[in-house]
Amino acid sequence: MTSIEINEVTNVSSKAEMTAGASGFANTVGDAATPLLELKEICKRYGQIDVLTNVSFTVNKAEVIGLLGDNGAGKSTLVKTISGVVQPDQGELVWDGKPVQFNSREVSANYGVETIFQDSALVDSMSIARNIFMGREIRNRFGFMDLRQMREIAAEVLKTIVAIEGIDSPDKLVGSLSGGQKQAVAIARAVHFKRSLLVLDEPTSALAVRATEALFDYLRHLRDQGLSSILVTHDLYDAYRICDRFVVMSRGRTILKAAKSETSIEELTEKVSRG
Amino acid sequence: MVTEAPATREVADYKEISASGRRYRLQQSAIDIAILFVGLQILSVIFALVDPSRFAYLNSANITVALQNIPLLGIPALGVGILMIAGEFDLSVGANYIFSSIVVGQLSANGMNQWLAVLVGLIAGTVIGLLNGVITLKLKIPSFITTLGTLGIWNAATLFYHGASSQTYTPTGILNSLLNGNFGPVPAPAIWMLVLAVGCYALLQRHRIGNHVFASGGGPAAANATGVNVVRTKMLAFGITGFMAAVGGILAAASVGNIAPASADSLALNAIAACVVGGLLLTGGKGTVLGIVIGAFLLYWIQDVLLLLGAPGFYLSAFVGALIIAASVFYRVISTRRV
Repeated sequence: MTSIEINEVTNVSSKAEMTAGASGFANTVGDAATPLLELKEICKRYGQIDVLTNVSFTVNKAEVIGLLGDNGAGKSTLVKTISGVVQPDQGELVWDGKPVQFNSREVSANYGVETIFQDSALVDSMSIARNIFMGREIRNRFGFMDLRQMREIAAEVLKTIVAIEGIDSPDKLVGSLSGGQKQAVAIARAVHFKRSLLVLDEPTSALAVRATEALFDYLRHLRDQGLSSILVTHDLYDAYRICDRFVVMSRGRTILKAAKSETSIEELTEKVSRG
Repeated sequence: MVTEAPATREVADYKEISASGRRYRLQQSAIDIAILFVGLQILSVIFALVDPSRFAYLNSANITVALQNIPLLGIPALGVGILMIAGEFDLSVGANYIFSSIVVGQLSANGMNQWLAVLVGLIAGTVIGLLNGVITLKLKIPSFITTLGTLGIWNAATLFYHGASSQTYTPTGILNSLLNGNFGPVPAPAIWMLVLAVGCYALLQRHRIGNHVFASGGGPAAANATGVNVVRTKMLAFGITGFMAAVGGILAAASVGNIAPASADSLALNAIAACVVGGLLLTGGKGTVLGIVIGAFLLYWIQDVLLLLGAPGFYLSAFVGALIIAASVFYRVISTRRV
């Protein structure tokens, strides 16, 4: 992927952001030294089970965090907490220096959190373009959609980000796509509505190798623009290539927090597998 | 089939993208059923021209009666269809149709201003639809069950409010022209159906609310996750369904001149049948307004043709049944051919 293509997407995206009245980019958030998001002593219980116990870490501006851990480590619950789907029993979220409560996904989205879930949150019976803009349609003041513009932006985003996935038109029904293509659409949506923090829950699990590379190129590009990402993954090699810092979880606790320079892939593997 | 596209695309591919886009959009429109419908109309017209005495399809009385009757199913079907796309059913539209129109008839007969009576009837229908929605969405039960239950309740409400006898309804003046008149050769109900269908098209297929209706029916969890208010969207669809049932009932009352409490028992199933013939899925998330309209036309058309050909009336339901099944098979074949 060349830088020219990326710039094209950025332009189209910012145009759409303005049209759709969406809120700002990462570089409009506070000053650079304040962490974007701090999690302080987050606890969550389901019945008798402690899913999260005193989880604390920070996400700085313009960095990619790898959130690692084996199955059942509490990664998904933590992702849901950050995106407002699950509320913690104890603990605090601090956004850009101010305590916040993410009571719903809508609230977290308003702060600038964009989440790609494992099940990718797409509707099979709708077209790609309508899926990308679902809930955030480009519309005039009477609420009527600008379908043409939605299609054009979707085509542009697909062409540059996920063209290698072989999607030939934004009018195609999502139900006719393969698993990897669906995930690519979900990623395209998240990238288009990029805000301040992208949370990607196992985004590459169904992606082809080339699509994964394109996504990582994109995450690097977004980081250069000042956006932060949290990448939740099983794939330690993927994580090691792209992430700046790592948070390893085991049984609901953080067992390692380290910058890339302070750790090695061997140590990460050891921590994830031994717990 | 999906073909692997090259890694780098040139600007020239835009033409390709927009061409395949048109193809996909056409596939998602009601094009299949529209072609079938036009074909059947052409055949019918040819037969009518060849043998006008045996097959009086083009007789002006036949056309007028058709345009008067199709909206009485088609208008409620528009509401039922929007609700089906939102992933819910309303089996109580027939009961609502009768209750709302009998309210209008009785209030008018009791001396209420006839315009006000119509307004009260429309509000009653909408409130009934919304109540179906509240019960379904607040108690989190399937709307099929809710409206199977409320079907009995609204029927009883009619008997409680009015009794089992029929109620005459004779609007006067401008209201009569609007409900029961003719605009040139076209009966008023057909105009109303056209207006409401255009309104439904604008709402469902061009407005963001429509996008939310499709999302709520096609994937409620995904819709919620992307910030669509599924409950509010479905409530709106329930309300529209109730409103459309009332409009249909009032138009029927005005054109017949009276309302018999048991006259719309099969309306809900016929409306669902029209939607299925028009390409809607029982599972929600898919469909077009044009499809619903054509579905209502086809359900009437098959009965009309059989009656004109002198088929005994008691066979009609068998042909209507066969049409519903054939339409379903037709869509199944089409969808498996297109991947």
